[in-house]
Amino acid sequence: MIYRESGQFRTTYNQDTQIFPLRQDRFAMIALLAVGLVVIPLVASDYWLKALLIPWLIFSLVALGQNILTGYAGQLSLGSAGFMAVGAFACYNFMLRIDGMPFLVALVLSGISAAVVGMAFGLPSLRIRGLYLAVATLAAQFFIVWALDKFGWFKNFDPSGVITAQPMIILGNVFDTAQEKYLIVAVVVGVLALLAKNMARGSTGRAWMAVRDMDVAAEVMGLPLVRTKLLAFAISSFYCGVGGALFAFAYLGTVEPSAFTIDLSFRILFMIIIGGIGTILGSFLGAAFILLLPILLSVVFHLIFGNAISASVISSVELIIFGVLIIAFLIYEPHGMARMWQIVKEKLRLWPFPH
Amino acid sequence: MGFQFFLEVLVTGLLSGVMYSLVALGFVLIYKASGVFNFAQGAMVFFAALTFVGIMELGAPFWLALPLTIGVMVLLGMATERFVLRPLVNQHEITLLMATIGLTFVIEGTAQLVWGVEVRRLDLGIKDVPLKWLADNTGMFISQIDIFAAVVAAILVSILSLVFSRTKVGRALRAVADDHAAALSIGIPLKRIWALVWAIAGVVALVAGMLWGARSGVQFALVFVALKALPVLIIGGFTSVPGVIVAGLIVGATEKLAEVYIGPMVGGGIESWFPYVLAILFLLVRPEGLFGEKIIRRV
Amino acid sequence: MTIQIHPHKRAFPIGEPILNVQDISLNFGGVKALTKVSFDVRKHEVRAIIGPNGAGKSSMLNVINGVYRPQLGEITYKGEHFKAMTPRRAALMGISRTFQNIALFKGMSALDNIMAGRNLHMHANFMEVAFRLPRATREENKNREFVEEIIEFLEIEHIRKTPVGRLPYGLQKRVELGRALAAQPEVLLLDEPMAGMNLEEKQDMCRFVLDVNDHYGTTIVLIEHDMGVVMDISDRVVVLDYGRKIGDGTPAEVRANQNVIDAYLGVAH
Repeated sequence: MIYRESGQFRTTYNQDTQIFPLRQDRFAMIALLAVGLVVIPLVASDYWLKALLIPWLIFSLVALGQNILTGYAGQLSLGSAGFMAVGAFACYNFMLRIDGMPFLVALVLSGISAAVVGMAFGLPSLRIRGLYLAVATLAAQFFIVWALDKFGWFKNFDPSGVITAQPMIILGNVFDTAQEKYLIVAVVVGVLALLAKNMARGSTGRAWMAVRDMDVAAEVMGLPLVRTKLLAFAISSFYCGVGGALFAFAYLGTVEPSAFTIDLSFRILFMIIIGGIGTILGSFLGAAFILLLPILLSVVFHLIFGNAISASVISSVELIIFGVLIIAFLIYEPHGMARMWQIVKEKLRLWPFPH
Repeated sequence: MGFQFFLEVLVTGLLSGVMYSLVALGFVLIYKASGVFNFAQGAMVFFAALTFVGIMELGAPFWLALPLTIGVMVLLGMATERFVLRPLVNQHEITLLMATIGLTFVIEGTAQLVWGVEVRRLDLGIKDVPLKWLADNTGMFISQIDIFAAVVAAILVSILSLVFSRTKVGRALRAVADDHAAALSIGIPLKRIWALVWAIAGVVALVAGMLWGARSGVQFALVFVALKALPVLIIGGFTSVPGVIVAGLIVGATEKLAEVYIGPMVGGGIESWFPYVLAILFLLVRPEGLFGEKIIRRV
Repeated sequence: MTIQIHPHKRAFPIGEPILNVQDISLNFGGVKALTKVSFDVRKHEVRAIIGPNGAGKSSMLNVINGVYRPQLGEITYKGEHFKAMTPRRAALMGISRTFQNIALFKGMSALDNIMAGRNLHMHANFMEVAFRLPRATREENKNREFVEEIIEFLEIEHIRKTPVGRLPYGLQKRVELGRALAAQPEVLLLDEPMAGMNLEEKQDMCRFVLDVNDHYGTTIVLIEHDMGVVMDISDRVVVLDYGRKIGDGTPAEVRANQNVIDAYLGVAH
């Protein structure tokens, strides 16, 4: 009744290809942006910002990167955490070694650094596919983390092993309160998500999906396989790199290789499986899910069992539930929560009628 | 340094290579029989070892714990086939791979939940000291456990190779690996064969877990050791048993040699990524692996 | 089944050979798919390749557009000689094709599939697409217009936004034809475009194929099993059997060729 399309006509191709063709969706998006950029910084507590919203946005960004590579372009990658690490360390080094480097410029540069590394490790994808490629990306993961750890130059030969990230300074203002950090992250992630959505709907996304679905046919149509695959690696790693830099600068406060383990790579993959492979929305939903589940679990456990349960038991159960959910989603809803949301919207369009 | 040292390192590497082959063998068995790449094989190795040690800690003697653990592994394999693989039977291989990654988490979590997180000692009665005879005669110091593990692994791999190529059951397994529908059509009991394959894979996982566990203790890091089996599979070819053996030796030897000779120049830790980079190089030159089948894609 | 084709003045009269394959031999391991096959295809004609199953027809198409590299032989296309084509070169030189087992991009809608076929005409890079710069949106709209014409031509407006995986077989084949047409090819290779279709669908497909040939002058090379269709719509026919050419000529000539009858047509069907 409310969510109706009737009366809304699209008379130009531009209108037809908008991100939110329905007026109701546009209102909802504007409202969301208003809440996100204005209301939340004003009312949310520091805990909410620092422990939930900031990591959620950062992981959504990284999940976007993973979705671009695995979801849209179909190249299975298990090395996202490695590219995050490149971004984090690149940002640290750019800010350290170049006087007066603006933070936002450093952010872009660290994304580009990650993109270059990503392309290098993406070269094997030109000859190998599927499973084999996944193992090649594992090489990226292990090698990158090892190299960043071993070669002291990256850490500026700091003996303590824990590097503190520099403060984020934009146009002379220091952004160090929770609200300010949140704003930086929200704006960066919002902009990059918009760019990703544009790419996904345009010729870039079509090229990726063609390579994913049937690369022989894509080649026969003249699509440049090499360029398409390498571009996917580059852009995906860019997103992961920026995400990694934000992870270190706006969330952890430190830059260390041990934060970027293979376990994190797996979690990022899980984010897109549960959230929805090949969708932008899915990256956000999946990141929220993976982030909130452990918190939810420990709250539930404490509610039921008080303090009798040790942390290791909770983490074991968390692992089991993750695994079961992955399998369940793959069996019952392979397109993830994004598809579930789409189904809800379709039902809404008919509401209050059943069909 | 010198030649003797080199030989020592080489032999140690080869011995651990045999161990990698053993773990990789589990992968190959399941891939050959059901076309699924069971990413969870590593977790199964860990789980098998942990269960075995756990049952012994509960008081059961060796000869009872062993069959009990094998039973548990068989049940695990069958549950996997029933609840994970069968519902996903015609999906893309990447989907199946991701499902087995999920399975890895389930198995790891269960292992932690049931048996806890402490490192366990696994005592097979063989001490981790250099074999005296070898040390006396050739001056090489090679651990007894390493040698024992390699011998056991070699025996197991040989038995399995013979079973595959010489027996009726082995022939049935190969038929199933080639084409499920065709195998069914000539009367091969598919479900039973799958159960058998998972049982064998479970046993292989258990033996691998016990041997690795005896060497380095039963701990979570075992899962990463199993991840190393992936480069072995790539280099050897996913479907080849002899390939896996040769590749395991190559990976084990080169990894050790690189660590010892190149390691000091860069601060060590090369073992963590060397096999993977080696696998990539192999893939670029020979995508189907040393002994794998050339993939011809028909359009 | 016969289609009445009223003799009319061809808009594009059949011209000189545009494609020439000479002594093509192709084997996979021990299997000889093609042995010393030579024939030519003239501009603007409809050339059929027929033969029993396994005769090497699809392999021949695959050689023409570069999916397979022949061990021996040469391809001459538009006056240039090649030892082997590559898929990209074939696409750039104006060869398009459809596949026997539909090779659509199952994750995309029909519209997106056909738009993907336009990729050689779209030059905006990813930055322009990401920031929706004018060149990208202009290009997108211009190509969308072109694709909509194809959609109208193939009468698939009602399913343009449907993910192709959900379409019935006949419509999928039509979308695939649309995708091949989107590239504005000079030579269109059709691999069993009417396989698995009922009578109505076949008539529709024939109409589309003939319209394409008539309206755009596209040269058509088609593999087809339905003898009625082949005899009715092709200008010339090549017959393959066990990888060798056993007949070449007009439908009437081929029909009368004893070798062909023995190998293939056999008893009236």
